[in-house]
Amino acid sequence: MQIAVCLKQTFDTEAKIKLTGDGQIDSAGVNLIINPYDEFAVEEALRLKEKLGGEVVVVSVGPAQVQESVRQALAMGADRAVLVSDPAVAPSDHSQVAAVLAKVLQSEPFDLILSGWVAIDDNAAQVPARLAEKLNLPQVNMAVKIEIGGGKATVTREAEGATEIVEVPLPAIITAQKGLNEPRYPSLKGIMQAKKKELKLLTAADLGAELGASQVKILQYSLPPARQAGKKIEGEPVDSARELARLLREEAKVI
Amino acid sequence: MIPHREVYWNIEGHLLIYLFLVIALIFFFYGYYRLYKYWRIGQPRDLSGHAWERIKSVLVNAFGHARVLRETYPGIMHFAIFWGFLVMVVGTIIVMLEADLGFKLIYGNFYLYFMSLGLDMAGLAAIIGIVMAIIRRYVLRPGRLDNKPDDAWSLILILVILITGFVLEGLRIAATRQPWDVWSPVGWLIAGWLGPAAPWQETLHRVLWWAHMALALGFIAYIPFSKLSHIFLSPLNQYYRSLEPKGALIKLDLENEEAESFGVAAVEQFTWKDLFDAEACTRCGRCRDNCPAHLSQKALCPKKLIQDIKGELEIKAPVLLSATAVGVEGQAAEAAASSEAVQSIASRVLIGEAVSEEEIWTCTTCRSCMEQCPVFVEQVPKLVEMRRYLVLTESRFPAEAQTAFRNMENNGNPWGVGWANRADWATELGVKVAAEDSDMEILYWPGCAGAFDDRNRRVATAMVKLLQAAGVNFGILGTEEKCCGDSARRLGNEYLFQMLVEENVETMKGYNVKKIVTQCPHCYNTLKNEYPQFGGDFEVVHHTQYLLELVSSGRLKVQKPLGKRITYHDSCYLGRYNDIYREPRQLLQAAGGTQVLEMERHHNRSFCCGAGGGRMWLEEREGQRINIMRTEQALATNPEVVCTACPFCLTMLGDGLKDKGLEEQVAAMDIAEILAGAV
Amino acid sequence: MGKDVFIFAEVKAGQLRKVAVELLSHGRAVADQFGGQLVAVLVGQGVGAAAAACGQYGADKVLAADSSELATYITEPYAAVVGQIIAENQPGVFLAGNTMLARDLFPRVAERVKAGLVTDCTGMTLEGGNLVFTRPIYAGKALTKVQVESSPVMATIRPNALGVAEVAARQAEVVQVAVTIPAEAKRVAIKEVQRRESKRPELTEAEIIVSGGRGMKGPENYVILEELADVLGAAVGASRAAVDAGWRDHAFQVGQTGKTVSPNLYIACGISGAIQHLAGMGSSKVIAAINKDPEANIFNVADYGIVDDLFKVVPALTQEVKKLVQES
Repeated sequence: MQIAVCLKQTFDTEAKIKLTGDGQIDSAGVNLIINPYDEFAVEEALRLKEKLGGEVVVVSVGPAQVQESVRQALAMGADRAVLVSDPAVAPSDHSQVAAVLAKVLQSEPFDLILSGWVAIDDNAAQVPARLAEKLNLPQVNMAVKIEIGGGKATVTREAEGATEIVEVPLPAIITAQKGLNEPRYPSLKGIMQAKKKELKLLTAADLGAELGASQVKILQYSLPPARQAGKKIEGEPVDSARELARLLREEAKVI
Repeated sequence: MIPHREVYWNIEGHLLIYLFLVIALIFFFYGYYRLYKYWRIGQPRDLSGHAWERIKSVLVNAFGHARVLRETYPGIMHFAIFWGFLVMVVGTIIVMLEADLGFKLIYGNFYLYFMSLGLDMAGLAAIIGIVMAIIRRYVLRPGRLDNKPDDAWSLILILVILITGFVLEGLRIAATRQPWDVWSPVGWLIAGWLGPAAPWQETLHRVLWWAHMALALGFIAYIPFSKLSHIFLSPLNQYYRSLEPKGALIKLDLENEEAESFGVAAVEQFTWKDLFDAEACTRCGRCRDNCPAHLSQKALCPKKLIQDIKGELEIKAPVLLSATAVGVEGQAAEAAASSEAVQSIASRVLIGEAVSEEEIWTCTTCRSCMEQCPVFVEQVPKLVEMRRYLVLTESRFPAEAQTAFRNMENNGNPWGVGWANRADWATELGVKVAAEDSDMEILYWPGCAGAFDDRNRRVATAMVKLLQAAGVNFGILGTEEKCCGDSARRLGNEYLFQMLVEENVETMKGYNVKKIVTQCPHCYNTLKNEYPQFGGDFEVVHHTQYLLELVSSGRLKVQKPLGKRITYHDSCYLGRYNDIYREPRQLLQAAGGTQVLEMERHHNRSFCCGAGGGRMWLEEREGQRINIMRTEQALATNPEVVCTACPFCLTMLGDGLKDKGLEEQVAAMDIAEILAGAV
Repeated sequence: MGKDVFIFAEVKAGQLRKVAVELLSHGRAVADQFGGQLVAVLVGQGVGAAAAACGQYGADKVLAADSSELATYITEPYAAVVGQIIAENQPGVFLAGNTMLARDLFPRVAERVKAGLVTDCTGMTLEGGNLVFTRPIYAGKALTKVQVESSPVMATIRPNALGVAEVAARQAEVVQVAVTIPAEAKRVAIKEVQRRESKRPELTEAEIIVSGGRGMKGPENYVILEELADVLGAAVGASRAAVDAGWRDHAFQVGQTGKTVSPNLYIACGISGAIQHLAGMGSSKVIAAINKDPEANIFNVADYGIVDDLFKVVPALTQEVKKLVQES
């Protein structure tokens, strides 16, 4: 079973977000990690490989430092990796990223393509679906359980207010939701072995990917106002409860 | 007439004894050689050198029984057996010298004082010791003792040898009445009971003498095959004990890219000294009685652990040894290797078989077992080696540990709070940061707890106020400080540990740091005892030491001592690992203004709070909660304040008090907070 | 380039979802600005009543794809229908609520029609004749303004983000769209659907979590949190203290050694806010805290705090929320 895992490198969840002088997101000093949802995908690929045999290939798009995250996936047990590193690819343009990934994934046959359903940095959740469309593959999002057999995958997925069990013929793209598994921690043995595994570095041109003009334009980054010390609601329990309910509804808009 | 006794009275052909002795010694040396071969399947560890220091250790601990005597009954018991036996062995050698090498020693005062009275008293002491041992083992039956046939045989054998010796003496005295017989009071008393000389006595004497000799020589032959092997192994183990700082774990070589495995999974992967430890263990169970994991009904029992390692060694070593021996000879090797039974033994692993993973993760590395072990068995490093295997080779460990590892990796602290927030606590306090101004008398190291944990930030704040009040030129590394790595190392993640150490050492060297003060005993221990393994040679001082210095030198003046009832909890990494017991008490005396209330377990017998060895980051699912047990011990002193000098202890005992619903009546405070309130 | 503003008006249980109403009401102004029509697109089975209601919120026209083949949402059949509608109508703007359905559907549709898409928006403004979307990134630690340079401009917008604008009701023409789903779009088959209407959501996925700590005093008291959770559709969590005390199962522990959650709303009841707890829920978008200790650390991170006895406040809050739910 040939499994590809699409992986994105993201800021650490605890990263302090700052802006540079020219209003861009400042990545200086920020710890970079594998997007946690993609890590679920890596783990799932490894488990499927352990069960069914085959190969796990990690595919990623991004600047050179993404190699670190890719190596981490290799340390977890993936067999080899392809990283497309090209400044011409705008990470904010999910269609371009999907186009590049599609080229890599078309270059050899895969039975299954896995990724996280969303990346924690831009929270867009677009690339897997765009990739599925480009490759004309069926997609199943937010999987919490994947079983493979008879040329198809049986996937338990989160839907709104429900859990669905769906069947999809392979090859297909399945995206991981939290709860799919608990990703392993690379052993030192794995880290050592990962240093020797194949990591192919390519550019968009190497792949002959047509990027086209970016369809989205980022006009501005800004920081939200600093978290206020919070409103203390005073009064009798009944009154403060009423006020809290009102604020949650009208101000915070969360209920 | 010069007091004297005829050696080998009534005995003909005593020289036969030497033949038997040779046979006994063959057994004796073969037995130890066998054990020696067993240890040699272990990995190398260089423990040569420091001979004088090592001899001193043997004198104090073997001959002086320093640790054995920490407990009264078993202490006196063993002391009596040990010295009784030793004196009698000396006496026996003198007899041999006299009889067959022409020495004239058993005369006059030496005969009366030493050979008669001395040996009689020694024998009596040994009998008393043995009887105490029998009573303890079979009547009092303390839980820490397990009984094997070997225990009974050893005791009976020694007792019978001692009693027959005295009966022989009585028979001889009865038959050869001399004016100085009373100098052998036990023999003299027995002779009195035997009545006037009679021929049957001589016959009995002869028979008994040979029986006594047979038993004594049998005893010699039996030693290396029984628990009695400890007679020689224990002093040797004391001799070869690690002289490294107590708080330093062995550095693991991670550079070796060919290594297939890290840490210890199979018994032969331990060092020879670890295996020696297992053989030297006498099953006395003191470790067990002081182990917080065991006392809180968890899987780990240090005594069982060592015995299980020994058991595994004894199963596996003969097979591994025969495989290599046969291997040299060639052909027969295939036949031996192909034997399935042999193969299955040779490939046995320790973890999951003789030692469960649960045991391995339960240890708090509090060092109580090692501190109490009379023969210096090193339990904690063995557990860490097995953790190293599980983490580095298998990547198998409690799920919570993964969170802590990830957090340390990504944000340099086990809580996983963004590293950029590390200096937030200090900004309002006007603490200078090394990056801005690295000219400082001391580097204050708040540690992750001081920097991130809300409760312990208050301790860091108190420290800053004290340092400022004393006019100390100090600063912090701020966001450049990373976790010292203690938890990572003790959870077996040597790779992460070394990564953290290297970064910290580089940062501190960059600022030319000379002296570090920290309030965390874990940081203290690691920075002081383990950083030198990585070229980080700094003067490291714990805040209890430094604050005491400030108070003693008058840089800080205590104005209004707290004046409450305070009990002090010894942190494992401050006390047992670094012998800092005096400074916190002295400081507390000054800041508190009252006598420190000692808990039942204090100083080196202190009871862990439950957070050491990385347990701070793991769930405690099994048995009683250790922090609650310690809280109860603290409450038994009826305190108003439970004082700690460790952020983890503060958290654990603070939680314990909350759990008891006593957080309003009894405060958990760090010593720095008490002092800050007093100056 | 099209001028019409299309709204993917999601239908739930035969009714327009509230977010669809919000988008229709705001889409009206956009359509007016662009000089186009406001068109509601309804896909599913039995959407007739909902279709009829769209005019009320300002729609000029309704395109209804009503078919038994669309009874249950599956990505590709829906994408086929919506893709076909876009291809045939060339809208200038196509908006949807940022629901689980639209998050699944819209990226695939966008790729199919080669359009740019902005998901998870919290704001939409007209600037210089262009639609500008605001969206949080990095778990809300930064905001970004984005413009889409394709036609159509596609976006999904969070429920409650815009609210309902006042618009004059119109008579909207309902046009039935002929549904033809190619065989190729039927690759995914649903075998089983386990609804969990009665059950509370999973902790890690819940949008709202009501959590209790040591202040709950005992396991029996969690019933008041459960009641609150049920009116909110929330999950019930617990702090380590409560789990350690044996009041709740470890599966419900929020924090360093438990679950890491980032709901839209986290209501912390009787939780002091130890660092290890904050590590697990600090990324919650809104935090409300009820604790009788005014010094509790949780108040340093809470957006809303009530210093009072939770045993009085929580039941009152349950009643208040119930009223709000009934009103809407």
